Amino acid sequence: MSLLSQTRSVIVMNVQSIPQRLWMSLATVMSIALVVAVLLGFLSLANGFNQTLKGSGAADVAIVLREGSEAELNSTLSRDQVDLLAQGPGVQMGADGRPVLSAELMLVVDGIKKSTGTKANMPLRGIGPNGLLVRKQARIREGRMFAPGSNEIVVGAGLLREFEGFEMGKSVKFGAQTWRIVGVFEAPGTVFESELWADAPVVQSLFNRGTSYQTARVVLTSPAAMPAFVAYAKNEPRLQLAAQSEQAYFAAQAERSGLLIKYFGWPLGIIMAIGALAGALNTMYASVSSRAAEIATLRVIGFSGFSAFMGTMVEALVLSALGAVLGVAICALGFNGLSTSTLGAGFTQVAFRLQIGPDIIGQAVTLALIIGLVGGIFPGWRAARQKPLLALAAA
Amino acid sequence: MTDFDLIRKNLFRKPLRTVLLTVSIFMAFLIFGMLTSLNVALNRASETGAASDRLIVSNKINFTQPMPIAYVNRIAAIPGVTGVTHSNWFGAYYQDQRASRFVGFAVDPATYMVLYANDIRLTPAERQAFIAERTGVIVGKALADQYGWKVGQTIPISSNIYVQADGRRSWDMKISGIFTGAKPTDSTTALYFRYDYLNETTTFGRDQIGNVAVRTASPDLNDQVAKAIDATFANSPYETSTVDEKTFARAFLKQAGDLNFIVSMVVAAAFAAILMIVSTTLVSAMRERTKEIGVMKTLGFSSPRVLRMVLGEALMLSTLGAVLGLLTSAVVLAGLSKSPAGASFGDLSMSPGVAVAGLALAITLGLVTGAIPAASALRMSIVDALNRR
Repeated sequence: MSLLSQTRSVIVMNVQSIPQRLWMSLATVMSIALVVAVLLGFLSLANGFNQTLKGSGAADVAIVLREGSEAELNSTLSRDQVDLLAQGPGVQMGADGRPVLSAELMLVVDGIKKSTGTKANMPLRGIGPNGLLVRKQARIREGRMFAPGSNEIVVGAGLLREFEGFEMGKSVKFGAQTWRIVGVFEAPGTVFESELWADAPVVQSLFNRGTSYQTARVVLTSPAAMPAFVAYAKNEPRLQLAAQSEQAYFAAQAERSGLLIKYFGWPLGIIMAIGALAGALNTMYASVSSRAAEIATLRVIGFSGFSAFMGTMVEALVLSALGAVLGVAICALGFNGLSTSTLGAGFTQVAFRLQIGPDIIGQAVTLALIIGLVGGIFPGWRAARQKPLLALAAA
Repeated sequence: MTDFDLIRKNLFRKPLRTVLLTVSIFMAFLIFGMLTSLNVALNRASETGAASDRLIVSNKINFTQPMPIAYVNRIAAIPGVTGVTHSNWFGAYYQDQRASRFVGFAVDPATYMVLYANDIRLTPAERQAFIAERTGVIVGKALADQYGWKVGQTIPISSNIYVQADGRRSWDMKISGIFTGAKPTDSTTALYFRYDYLNETTTFGRDQIGNVAVRTASPDLNDQVAKAIDATFANSPYETSTVDEKTFARAFLKQAGDLNFIVSMVVAAAFAAILMIVSTTLVSAMRERTKEIGVMKTLGFSSPRVLRMVLGEALMLSTLGAVLGLLTSAVVLAGLSKSPAGASFGDLSMSPGVAVAGLALAITLGLVTGAIPAASALRMSIVDALNRR
């Protein structure tokens, strides 16, 4: 009998004997599944947040802030600066022959977050007629756009999910003013969905902002036109503003969310994995000792120690693979697509969905298989080194 | 030989198995100890100095929206109010906006030092200097240590919000004092400078303030005073929202996400895993010992006594793992508290409450994992036990 066929038959015997140790094997599978689910939960949280930020930025849209302001909230632009920006190089002209530029202002208002029942920061953005043109993903899903000059608001689908009381037709009060919600817009997978939009001049007057704006979004003819426009915004003496591509702006914000994974997700995953590994080792040692007579018999009739080792090893890997599949399934059915929100770099809530993907599934499954590998090596070693006659005598 | 010796000997008859089980339990309690303590520390850090007789008044739209400075005197006149001060978030940083941001507020020195006397500890001389010096600033000890600042030194502090008339974003401030917190473990990575200095030099936001802190005559009056303040400014262009300091801090912490929920889910997952591992292993260990239990019963060990011994073994195992896990997390947390990253959390050390909860959890775990093997040992008849192979 060749080594290969020997090994194959021992593996089959091992795997078929799993039901004899049903409960311990099940506990191993379940504990590995929980490790995978916890790790994948954290990874999908960060992944969903990152994808939302990355999905928000276009390469051919420049976002212009006051020099030194990292967030929209801290920036200010005057009406004159906005007009000058429109004359910059490489600015795309719209169907009406005018530059596609949206001067906007953003302020923070309170809403009640559904998940915690406490007040949280929501962005109220004043936009102009070009607000939708500079955000290609956005469209009105329900109702209509606000009428210029009115106290009307359209609400993002993400904000609607996460906050109470912003359904169509309702009225909300910010300070002394009452606003009516006339539409719901969606911009799937972007941060814009977490915003309230209203007419910029109305926001300026009701919040005492005069004629000032905070940011400008400018559509350029192509991403290649970006450097020239950035240089113009910086060097024109009446501007001295910081322009960058929207893509770069959001990518910088995404960088920071990696901390959650680095300091929470992986350490927790690894600690839990060590706990599950100890359980797997126990199960596999129990497997070896319960099959001591069987292994000894095989050795006496000429099976190699290697085949005994491989039998145990593969059994451990099968258990961990089952655990990995179960863990991924728990995550895919339980968390994937779950909506949540957190405080983003703009000091306002960003609504996003937990998102699993091939790369993070790969990472979690790798951890599970490492548990199986280490959990199989030592018991397998013991199986291979077992003294056949001694084991038979003991049995 | 006492029962205790028997339990101990039984537990360690297969030392490797017991060590592995202990490792599993250890890891679960490590997670419990660390996460729960971190959660407690975060909740506490957000409330550092939150006094029960202090209220925070902010613009009803959101706390980032300003209010007119005239509100300070109007609030002071409301019955039940015994002290008022105000602050503006400055968006402070030193030289590098990305790497060196910290908490910075523009405040009214005299009244702020009265309301927060307990939380901002200065020598009388330092306090006098801060009140007298127009460009004065007081910095927390941790911040001063980090940048090597000394009293009397002038430092440029920048803002990511305010701008000076000449376009500069940084203000030269002279260090009047270096403060410590109420407790040595309180976070002191903040600075406070004078509102009048900011107000005279800024290009916008003149005579506008961020938040007002109010001290009431007694915590019992909090609700009444809060309602009176909000009623005073109702239907004005700047309506207010007044809550006690703790509520304000909690709501802010919850903006990041529901940490309590995440911690409970992870701890639950870790415990579900060890519960299964430990109980199935104990069941199989007890099955190996069936014959022995039959012998013990033959020798006159009563069934309840056998039950106690099996439960005792499970309890000993879970307590061993739990105590080691909790001790390790206490040591790690103590180490983290001293590191710069941990310092911003304030006091990270394990509270007695967390330790007690951990031990209670260990006992529950022992009883639950021991229940099935103990019940089968209790019910087992001698004849069956001796016949079983």
